[in-house]
Amino acid sequence: MRSTRDVGEEEAGAGMGHYSDPPLLVLASLAGGPKHGHAMIEDIAGMCGTRLGPGTLYGAIARLEQLGWIEPLPAEERRRPYRITSAGLRVLGAKLATLQQFAQAGLGRLETS
Amino acid sequence: MNPRLARWLTRLYPPAWRERYGEEFETLLETGPSDLRTLANSVRSAVHEHIFPTQGGNMDQSPNSFSAMIKRPSAFLPVAMSLIALTMVLTTLTIGLAHTGGVIVRDPDEGATAHLFQLLMTVQMPIALFFAVKWLRRAPAPSLGVLALQAGAWLAACAPIHFLHL
Repeated sequence: MRSTRDVGEEEAGAGMGHYSDPPLLVLASLAGGPKHGHAMIEDIAGMCGTRLGPGTLYGAIARLEQLGWIEPLPAEERRRPYRITSAGLRVLGAKLATLQQFAQAGLGRLETS
Repeated sequence: MNPRLARWLTRLYPPAWRERYGEEFETLLETGPSDLRTLANSVRSAVHEHIFPTQGGNMDQSPNSFSAMIKRPSAFLPVAMSLIALTMVLTTLTIGLAHTGGVIVRDPDEGATAHLFQLLMTVQMPIALFFAVKWLRRAPAPSLGVLALQAGAWLAACAPIHFLHL
């Protein structure tokens, strides 16, 4: 017999993990305004439940900066905030549109099944 | 996190990366927890940064390009093993020539160098085979390039043995 806890975990997608695409999560976080590393981690955790490790976060930051999708702002003490660029906003918009399309298609299939 | 531990973790990253992100990364570590997950994440990312550097690296590179492909262990290990074998042969030959005054002496009793050479040249074959099976179908052109490089390195290592009848 399944307990209510089992059902609850299944409904929450237990075992499937959180959504994790670090560069996309960083872009989405910075779309809400400039942030430094710690603020990004907290914001992303609040947004989707994924808590990025510091290495993962800075791996994503370094790559996004090289691609010109985010840019550093002047350091505040020893912390450096980053902001999303216009190119980053375009990429984020395109990626989220694709995800939305995917989610709609998936939800539509669930309704018909 | 303990500042000394944060500094030690930051030092695991390549110098170019540390120069750009070191201070802010260290600050982030200091403000965060020092649990096993954070430590493992930092170490793993440092190793990744050494293999695929973002500082000075080409971020537009396709994962299936030749330069990305050659960074895979199953691609570069056979080449490295052949180069090590070739270096061993040439070093042994040079030392031997220096001792005998320019005469190649063929020792019928195979020494440790010969056994190590045979081991290096044999063990790389299943690795190269693994690479071919995994990547030839997915990315034929760069995979063929890598396999050609592996074959070239293998032949280069065997060339002194063949031509000098060692």
